[in-house]
Amino acid sequence: MKAANQKVEQTAFDEKRTLSAGADASAPVVSLRGISKTYGDFLAVENLSLDVKRGELLCLLGPSGCGKTTTLRMVAGFVEPTAGSVYISGQDVTALPPYRRDTGMVFQSYALFPHMTIGANIAFGLENIGVPKTERARRVEEMLTLVELTELTHRYPRELSGGQQQRVALARALALRPAVLLLDEPFSNLDAQLRVRLREELRLLIDRVDITTLFVTHDQEEALMLSDRIVVINRGKIEQIGTPEDIYERPATRFVAEFIGWCSILEGVVSNGTFVSSGGLTLPVNAAAGPTTIVVRPEYIKPVTASSGRSRLSGRVESSNYYGAMSRLSIAIDGEKLLMETHFPPGARPAVDDAIEIEIDPVGIRAIPAPPKNS
Amino acid sequence: MRIDAIDVGLKIAGAIVRPLVYLTLCLPAAIVVVTSFTAGESLRFPPEGFSLRWYQAAINSEPFMDSLWASTKLAFIATILSLAIGLASSFAIDRFRFRGREAFRTLTLSPLVVPMVVLGLGLLQFLSWMQLNQTFAGLLIGHVLITLPYVVRTLTASLVLFDRTLEQAAMNLRAPPWRILWRITLPLIGPALVSASVFAFVTSFGNITLSIFLGFAGETTLPVQIFTYVEHSYDPILAAVSTIVILVTLIVIAIVEKLVGMETVA
Repeated sequence: MKAANQKVEQTAFDEKRTLSAGADASAPVVSLRGISKTYGDFLAVENLSLDVKRGELLCLLGPSGCGKTTTLRMVAGFVEPTAGSVYISGQDVTALPPYRRDTGMVFQSYALFPHMTIGANIAFGLENIGVPKTERARRVEEMLTLVELTELTHRYPRELSGGQQQRVALARALALRPAVLLLDEPFSNLDAQLRVRLREELRLLIDRVDITTLFVTHDQEEALMLSDRIVVINRGKIEQIGTPEDIYERPATRFVAEFIGWCSILEGVVSNGTFVSSGGLTLPVNAAAGPTTIVVRPEYIKPVTASSGRSRLSGRVESSNYYGAMSRLSIAIDGEKLLMETHFPPGARPAVDDAIEIEIDPVGIRAIPAPPKNS
Repeated sequence: MRIDAIDVGLKIAGAIVRPLVYLTLCLPAAIVVVTSFTAGESLRFPPEGFSLRWYQAAINSEPFMDSLWASTKLAFIATILSLAIGLASSFAIDRFRFRGREAFRTLTLSPLVVPMVVLGLGLLQFLSWMQLNQTFAGLLIGHVLITLPYVVRTLTASLVLFDRTLEQAAMNLRAPPWRILWRITLPLIGPALVSASVFAFVTSFGNITLSIFLGFAGETTLPVQIFTYVEHSYDPILAAVSTIVILVTLIVIAIVEKLVGMETVA
């Protein structure tokens, strides 16, 4: 069995994919079944289950300390779960050490070996699985071509820029053609502009290689832009799993709504399709009667135009900030506060304490499903 | 104003003290080297004339050459053993949180604190109880003991600074533990290993107290040989032998410097 695995490792990438795809294309590549991790009294991850489907880019998103990195490290094998099982390509790997797991990881610090050249860094994994020298050289070349760094083979990591180091780390992880690529906050060491450019490059690269990817970040923008699906984690538990659009437009919990993007959250009661907030603001909503939490995303709120036919709300501007492409206003209406994001023509941005008339696109008013009673 | 005055005062004091310190450090060695070239019969500074006769005498002297060899051999083996034990201890201290870890660390460093005479006396009794006194093994045990603190100190300091994500990255790249040690950890703490060996070698090579306590008729170490020689004669052969030792030490340090230097550049 093991010899067969190694044989597969050594043959071409496509061959391997066809082979494993032939086995069962719909089976998840990574599967976590009820994993928990406790450090003393601290519950880092609690009874967490999720599947990473073949070829998808799944993102674990949450605030720092929420357990997302611990979860990633349990997949890689650096952290042993207190309970539950980890499956990679259908095999239970919970008891296997990291060097027997078919994963390729890019560390937050990249962890390139400082005493080895870029070429040697990439060849290291291939050496470990016994790929012969000529094949190794060919594969290193192939990887460097993939990340467009062929001219840097003989350089040392410290001679490279942060962005180049990241690409080498990626090439090193991909050289072994792992079943799953693990990325641990790969952009956190880069400055803001570079970050935006590199994540677009990363997405293109991952699409080109077509590899299943599990990605950890605390940056919601990164998650929304890169992922096929997002898993929002808070305090070691999953809050919501869904596409970026699901997560943003239809948050399942108050935490998700507040963590992803800006929004106004109102508590109140629904009766007959009308929501009345505790402060007294009335809004139309499509939700069952009873106590309800409402989320309104700021881009659905607009200043009133001549004739839109929607009900108008009159309020007072509490704060008004200019961000260039748009302005962000906080408006006090009927004892509540609503956030609004919109572009005003030059000179037309309302000042603090101005009266303002707004309308809300009904699509942007959403009720958060009531949490189960026992939680 | 007052701060300025203090600053100026300290600066002047420094300018005076610094050369004095360097002078005190270098002068004894310089005097020995200069004296070794004397043509006269006695160990005296300034030397009388110039000749290499005492070098010839030193090289032809069996006791000195034998003891030089004995010291080198002893220091070499002691260094190897000390590195092996010290590396294992440093790993344990750095990587694991076990009961008595602090006590263990203190224990490995304690030979530095215990006066050498006390250590020598204790070892003498211990070794004779073990039936190991007056043997090379006994002398070696003593030397490993006194070199160990330097090795553990240097290596733990280096391991604390070692980025363990590198080991995890290697593990992720299918490297089993022994391979990680060999390809990642050891090469990266290489400079510390080299300086630990130099410390250990020099400490063992220059030690006299312990060697007197644990020495035996068969093999005398160089410091002991010099020490006993001085008791009855005082001729320039000592200066010649010492100069040879200084030269060898300088060569070793130069080689090491070059090796470690290259490690940092590469």
